[in-house]
Amino acid sequence: MSGNPNDMRSTAELALNRRDFLRVAGGLVVTFSLFGQEAPVEPASKSLEALPTDAAQRSLAPPPAGKLYAWLAVHPDNSATLFTGKVETGTGVQTALAQIAAEELDFPFDRLDVVMGTTSETVDQGPTYGSRTIRYAGPQIRSAAAAGRQALLDLAAEHFSVPANQLAAKEGTISVLGSPSRTLTYGKLVEKKRLNIEIGASGERFAMKVAPKAHPKDPSTYTVVGRSIARKDIPDKVMGRFTYVQDVRVDGMLHGRVVRPYGVEATLESVDETGLKNIPGFVQVVRQHNFLGVVAETEWGAIQAAAKLGSTLKPSGPDVGQAKWSNWNGLPKMDDIWETVRTTPAVRSISPVSKGSVTTAFAHANRNLKATYKTPFQMHGSIGPECAIADVKHDRATFWSGTQMPHETRRDMAKLLGIPLEGIEVRWFEASGAYGRNGLEHVVADAAVMSQVVGRPVRVQWMRWDSHGWEPKEPPIVQDLQGALDDAGHVTAWQHHMWIPTTSDTHLVAAALIGRPDVTGSTGLAGAPIGYAYTFENADVAAHNEGRVALLTAWLRSPAQFEITFAMEAFIDELAAAAKQDPLAFRLGYLQDPRAIGVLKAAGQEYGWKSRPAGAKAGPSDKLAHGRGIAWVNRDDTRVATIADVTVDPSSGRIKVDRVVVAHDCGLVINPDGLKNQIEGNVIQSLSRTLLEEVTFDTAHVTSRDWRGYPILRFEEIPDSIDIVLVNNSAEYPSTGGGEPSTNPTAAVISNAVFDAIGVRLRQIPFLPDRVKAAMS
Amino acid sequence: MKGDPDASANHLQVNGERPAVEVEPESMLLYALRDNLGLRGPKFGSGLSECGACTVLMNGNAIHSCITPVSAVGDAKIVTLEGLGTADDPHPVQKAFIAEQAAQCGYCINGMIMHAASLLKRNPHPTRNDIQQALNGNLCRCGTHMRIVRAVERAAATGSVNE
Repeated sequence: MSGNPNDMRSTAELALNRRDFLRVAGGLVVTFSLFGQEAPVEPASKSLEALPTDAAQRSLAPPPAGKLYAWLAVHPDNSATLFTGKVETGTGVQTALAQIAAEELDFPFDRLDVVMGTTSETVDQGPTYGSRTIRYAGPQIRSAAAAGRQALLDLAAEHFSVPANQLAAKEGTISVLGSPSRTLTYGKLVEKKRLNIEIGASGERFAMKVAPKAHPKDPSTYTVVGRSIARKDIPDKVMGRFTYVQDVRVDGMLHGRVVRPYGVEATLESVDETGLKNIPGFVQVVRQHNFLGVVAETEWGAIQAAAKLGSTLKPSGPDVGQAKWSNWNGLPKMDDIWETVRTTPAVRSISPVSKGSVTTAFAHANRNLKATYKTPFQMHGSIGPECAIADVKHDRATFWSGTQMPHETRRDMAKLLGIPLEGIEVRWFEASGAYGRNGLEHVVADAAVMSQVVGRPVRVQWMRWDSHGWEPKEPPIVQDLQGALDDAGHVTAWQHHMWIPTTSDTHLVAAALIGRPDVTGSTGLAGAPIGYAYTFENADVAAHNEGRVALLTAWLRSPAQFEITFAMEAFIDELAAAAKQDPLAFRLGYLQDPRAIGVLKAAGQEYGWKSRPAGAKAGPSDKLAHGRGIAWVNRDDTRVATIADVTVDPSSGRIKVDRVVVAHDCGLVINPDGLKNQIEGNVIQSLSRTLLEEVTFDTAHVTSRDWRGYPILRFEEIPDSIDIVLVNNSAEYPSTGGGEPSTNPTAAVISNAVFDAIGVRLRQIPFLPDRVKAAMS
Repeated sequence: MKGDPDASANHLQVNGERPAVEVEPESMLLYALRDNLGLRGPKFGSGLSECGACTVLMNGNAIHSCITPVSAVGDAKIVTLEGLGTADDPHPVQKAFIAEQAAQCGYCINGMIMHAASLLKRNPHPTRNDIQQALNGNLCRCGTHMRIVRAVERAAATGSVNE
């Protein structure tokens, strides 16, 4: 671990003090001069006012990426603001991006605030997904901040009438070399100046290049990047001072609740409004085609009204609430879902790996192994149900949203509402963690529809069952594998065929319900995120990519690759066991990627791995059985190897995870403790997905509509320890992503460890106790 | 519970104050705290007493405000995350959560801290297992569990919880 271990304590306390200062000052810092902004700005960007109907219309377009002021503001009190189109989703990128900016700007980290996501104030740097923020937005911000530092030096050169190379910038102050008395803060330097500095930008979103002529620092001189600085957001979150999107309240706003169809595609036949007017605060029903919602002056009133119309945890039929739905039963049977996936025609078939001839190799093999791996619908399961506020007027609309893609949401809402893009603003506030595309984009649309009808701002928060039932899911995936071994236990052929429904269906639920399903969104194809690196002489890897199968689906943390890694890394373990070889050495025998080899060896060393075949000691027993498992992944160039110890109780079928070791190589790490927080989170969440999680449904709708129906890992089930080794944390290796990769190996690791313990292969997630016992018998 | 619930429902004792709230007695405490009093600590998570995000202290005991009707509160003293410590003097559990960086999205953290504070008041020296059991009804989706446990251990170790 790099960095001073004292950093965290001291910076945490500093952050608290800084927040206190801001709070005393009213919570907002208003400034009037920065790098060229023409008008005063409110860097905190947290206005809660509803749209004035007749106010002067300020520009709602994002700032131009080629201007310095699009990225940075320096204020006269020598504080500064970084503006980024990226958003915080709980992963700590706000802090990490601020570290990158503070480093290049030579500015005190604690005096640098970050404005994220709000579409009128930030550049569209692409959605915050796919472990791409540090990798792609990091260099954009690094470059902009380096350009900012140069601009300040140029200003100071003019001020002091010395060449810029006679100046030194440090901690927000510029001084003349050799003249200690000649110093000026950045704030003083820019005070009352209007600067309109062009830094240049080309390309869009992830591919955008910013300030191409800037000269970022030599990474060997970094003093802020690479330190475990305490996160900016945590003190407010811990003290109850943080404003989540769920906490936003807007003047004049109503509370809305949705009433979803009983069956996924049921049509609304009638709505009986009897009794609704007796509910205190009730305002009206919002009905458009199959879209049904209620609005009320109070949240409680909206909940009561929605309940009367049928929004409850366990509705007992399509016509038992006061809203009557058609009797729709079009979902496939849950038990048959993988057969449904397998038989759904592929929209596209791809073959990422095709080498030699597996057919010939299988025909001449000493041993052929075959296995099928199955994974179910899983959900994002945010603790805070999705929430948004919409204020829709004739030609303008404002949204308060926690979406991971505010700039896309802006475009979506323009299409949904038929309002020109120039009239739409998304003000971004952090939401409960989403881990992908949960319902945050959908609840915006719900609020939009309701606000447009009632003509007032409407806050919609989904009920627990709306979220569990209607958030887009990770799709079920089925995979067939076949491998061949020769007499010496070498792998001579590897075949991996997968059937993957879409993981990127961005159609909006509300749009479908109002009868305009295709007004925005698309059904993407999953591809085959596989990171295949083995050197088997004959290999055939193919994916059948499908559209929507049964339920609406969208990306969940490491979409499809979590499932693919499970099959791939469990099946190679099957081959290793059949060859009676140590599973770590077996993998290393078929790898040439030095960074893959590096994480596998680093994990083995941290764990204290002793070479032996898996399952050697497994046999029928009533006693607690112990086993170890290993697996690795390459997720978009980040390599992760994970090892775990498990204890299996044969009498109950229960799996207890004892110890987890992770070796993680994402190149240069901006904030080591922040990354470790992410890795721990990935491990726990993926253990939960591996051991417990499966969306259940009948032919009408999702039936796992709360945490009892969809359990996730609890404190009594967590591992005893998670040990993390960071590999290649060095500027020689540019940063790749850390938000998802360590999710991937977990299911295979646990499957492999269970085999080592009791000699049984688990090939279907989740590894529920009953399933373990069934596999044993 | 003492007195007439309808009469007492109009005044709650929250964080040392006694604000008037105009709500229906059968409505849940969570909405009165959030919508009427503007508090942000307690969160709506399940509305079903399933996740703990809405936890507040009622007479020192951790309760789920999402299923507690205002009429059942009466004169009980309610403490929310905002009332646990002050900006100048955060509660030891809050300090420990910051020191351990025990949050990711942080939406569940209210419940974790309120339950931990309640635990440490009745058991100032809990084992790791005690902590896991005390927090077992609280769900965290980001997977911050290891740090949350460490934070509660740190708070216990400071020994100043039982004030």
